[in-house]
Amino acid sequence: MPVSLLIAGFLFGIGFGYFVQRAGLCFAHGLGEIFTGRGQRIIRMFLVIFIISSIGFMVSGYVNPELGLKAIGELRGYGFWNLMSGAIFGAGILLNGGCILGTLRQIGEGNMLFSVILLSFIPGMALVVYVLDPLLKKGYNVHNILLVDLIPVAAPVITGVLAVASIIWLIILVGQQNGRNKRNN
Amino acid sequence: MKKLLYRPLIMVAGFALLNVIMYLTIHKFWIGGSSFLPMVGKLGPGNKLIFAFIVNMGVIVGSFVGAFTSGEFRFRLPRTESIARGILGGILIGIGITLAPGTCTTAFVIGLPMLSISSVLSIAGMFAGGFIMYSMTMGKCSVKQKKEII
Repeated sequence: MPVSLLIAGFLFGIGFGYFVQRAGLCFAHGLGEIFTGRGQRIIRMFLVIFIISSIGFMVSGYVNPELGLKAIGELRGYGFWNLMSGAIFGAGILLNGGCILGTLRQIGEGNMLFSVILLSFIPGMALVVYVLDPLLKKGYNVHNILLVDLIPVAAPVITGVLAVASIIWLIILVGQQNGRNKRNN
Repeated sequence: MKKLLYRPLIMVAGFALLNVIMYLTIHKFWIGGSSFLPMVGKLGPGNKLIFAFIVNMGVIVGSFVGAFTSGEFRFRLPRTESIARGILGGILIGIGITLAPGTCTTAFVIGLPMLSISSVLSIAGMFAGGFIMYSMTMGKCSVKQKKEII
């Protein structure tokens, strides 16, 4: 891998870190807020990410045919292992209060507990890579499926509908927040 | 104007835009959990996880820059009582991010906008697992205590 690519990646990472820190973005806190009925902040953030990213990734396919929508990760065991891994991950982030971005952000902010948490990933990852993976591999039946592979509707239509719905939802949430701010002032 | 520019939603928009720019320019996007697999010797096809790991080291530096320039940086050593909880949570995260690639934060930031089915399932799992843990650890707390914890 060329060094120039690694340097570019590091610089992009600095940009990501700066934005994440200034936004206070953390999906673990967001999940907690949703469970306590105060989830509007994280929903607004997620909607902004979804609107920009979905439109951006869709348009990228027209700019360069090699880009566009791609399946992320792997569908394992017809989705069973994705549900399981999501559940275990969800329990983990709620327990220590930091998703991946949140953990990296907190380390950057000087909270050394999250350095311990980051290092604690190692035994968990090693358990799966060296013990569970060899045992479970045959049952994984790996697939890479996009929503557009299941629904007979063109990808731009699906993205367009979801993006428009997200924009409307975002406008409503921002309007509600502005209303609350005015009442409080 | 400056206050408006630094609003969290504008910052989140900056994060998402930067991700799209990265995809358009160097054909890669931000990856969360799998990027730490090099710590257990898994480098991925074509060493691509090394790149993701380097990006996330940049995230720490960028976060430090953001915290330092805004006066929010505060060096804090962990309290003894929170270390065990942190380690257990970290191990669970380590298992979760490895059991099916593309789980974790990547599902919210990349997977759903890409309309990836594996991410939809991962997020459903996250809500279920998160709710079970929430019920176990905070279910009996008062609303005030919950707000303090979260």
